[in-house]
Amino acid sequence: MNTTLADTAGEGPRSSAAATAAKGLTETLRTLVRREFWEHRSLWLAPLVVTALLALCALIGRMHVDFDDAAQVHSEAQRVAIFTIIQWVLAMPLYLVAAFVVAFYLLDCLYAERKDRSIFFWKSLPVSDELTVAAKMVVALVAVPLGVFALALVAQLLFGAILGVRVLAGSLPPVFTWNTYEWLRTELVMLLITVAAVLWWAPLAAYLLLVSAAVRRAPTLWATLPLVLGPVLEWVAFGTRHLMDFINYRINGIWWLLGVHNTHIVTKHEVRAIGTALAVLDFRALLTSIDLWLGLVVAAALVYVAIRIRRYRDDT
Amino acid sequence: MTAVIEARALTKSYGATRALDGVSFSVEPGRIVGLIGPNGAGKTTALKAILGLTSFSGELRVLGLDPCTQRDALMREVCFIADVAVLPRWLRVSQALEFVAGVHPRFDRGIAENFLRKTDIRMASRVRELSKGMVTQLHLALVLAIDARLLVLDEPTLGLDLLYRRSFYDTLLNDYFDKERTILLTTHQVEEVENLLTDVIFINHGRVALAAAVEELGSRYQQLTLASEQAARARTLQPFYEREVFGRVAMYFEGRSPAELGAFGELRTPSIADLFVAKMQGAGRP
Repeated sequence: MNTTLADTAGEGPRSSAAATAAKGLTETLRTLVRREFWEHRSLWLAPLVVTALLALCALIGRMHVDFDDAAQVHSEAQRVAIFTIIQWVLAMPLYLVAAFVVAFYLLDCLYAERKDRSIFFWKSLPVSDELTVAAKMVVALVAVPLGVFALALVAQLLFGAILGVRVLAGSLPPVFTWNTYEWLRTELVMLLITVAAVLWWAPLAAYLLLVSAAVRRAPTLWATLPLVLGPVLEWVAFGTRHLMDFINYRINGIWWLLGVHNTHIVTKHEVRAIGTALAVLDFRALLTSIDLWLGLVVAAALVYVAIRIRRYRDDT
Repeated sequence: MTAVIEARALTKSYGATRALDGVSFSVEPGRIVGLIGPNGAGKTTALKAILGLTSFSGELRVLGLDPCTQRDALMREVCFIADVAVLPRWLRVSQALEFVAGVHPRFDRGIAENFLRKTDIRMASRVRELSKGMVTQLHLALVLAIDARLLVLDEPTLGLDLLYRRSFYDTLLNDYFDKERTILLTTHQVEEVENLLTDVIFINHGRVALAAAVEELGSRYQQLTLASEQAARARTLQPFYEREVFGRVAMYFEGRSPAELGAFGELRTPSIADLFVAKMQGAGRP
């Protein structure tokens, strides 16, 4: 009788705890992702600064178009093509900077919390290591890429307006024309490439994350050392360059598989709208490539190892 | 009611050193337990094991859960402050509240805000702009607002000045503690928590040297202060430690009755700090 009573008393608070259980998964994940942007402000500051600089260029920059047959610029199709290329050129610095800050973010995110011992604070809260690490991958592979895509879109609209006004005012030559259909096609190309790039580079991202979780110090050094030293050692020892080719493939292979070299957007004699790439780029080849999917499997494995390290490491 | 913490034969080695060497103890609900020991005694390792932050051999249940395999469920009902300054320096006060509110199902933001209003901490400040004492206040504010059943504190007031230390423990007692809750804390400053504790666990060289309720100490341990001339005769009753104080001798006995000792001199229950020193110093002797 007594034991029954004691058991019930023991169970009471526990079952009420189960009722309040965990916060909704989405709210927790949203909070975790926001926290990453609080800590790593360069994730959103750097693209914003680049956008501001580009806006400055649009306001005061000069434009020079040089073709062998300059008369072609006067055709409507060429002006539309130049318009889409401007869209593209605007987006490139944003994507490059974002890729750069994301790489450093991944190297830092699981290292900094051990360095400043704040990991004890994060671990005092009911958030699993799985979710914490997953949130960091969500930041790198979803939040920042989509954010940059959206920012590029806004920047492009802003620039279209600034440049348009300047053309009307006569301070720029009338070399481009707004075309809504081609603008949307350009955005579609960029969105598809963004998604493709995220999938292709996911193992690289996971590699950086793992280095961040594993090393005691100097994550940047430890991340780059094997990539540089490996190929050099292979060359010295065997005179071959398989590793170098492999690394190169894991970085640039996406462009080969997509067939970017077939797009011929800008040639000596003419320019084509970015949208024409839709018919050329081989997304099917990329998505059916076993290398892409193997890469994703490897990425998942590396993230899993990073989670285990964060969970069981005990030397902070 | 079941024990909050039930540890049996906890063992943990770092290389050749045994941080925990078969530690067993249990903590009942509604107690304030001091885990007291010299540097390197294994206190922090024991806390880490309880919090599921380190692996170990032996048996350990915390709130009926296994801290190794059920850590996420456990942390819903356990709070801990692992010494000072583990709050990230870039974090703003407002962000700290928002984050905990976003991930902790048992966090009441209003309580934390009310507590912070009584301090000099501003919502917009970053942790790096706060003094050490204020960081601890902030952490305390977060912990007070979490409806947890077990609070673990590892040297929570290390490096704080007297005012902050005093108000830390006052707040803990007045605003936090009730008979539903349990507090387990480690500290070097035994004197400071002396009146707070309901239970003590002395730990030395990875072993439990003493585990008792504070109210039991009086019947188990006696401190006898007597003139040096009497010392030789009193020694036959086998004190486990003695020291000289102002020309007199203080002897510490375990399990002797007041009737046996009273004749020699002045008898009283040793303070926890004195008993700790006696136990630690006396441990090395035959």
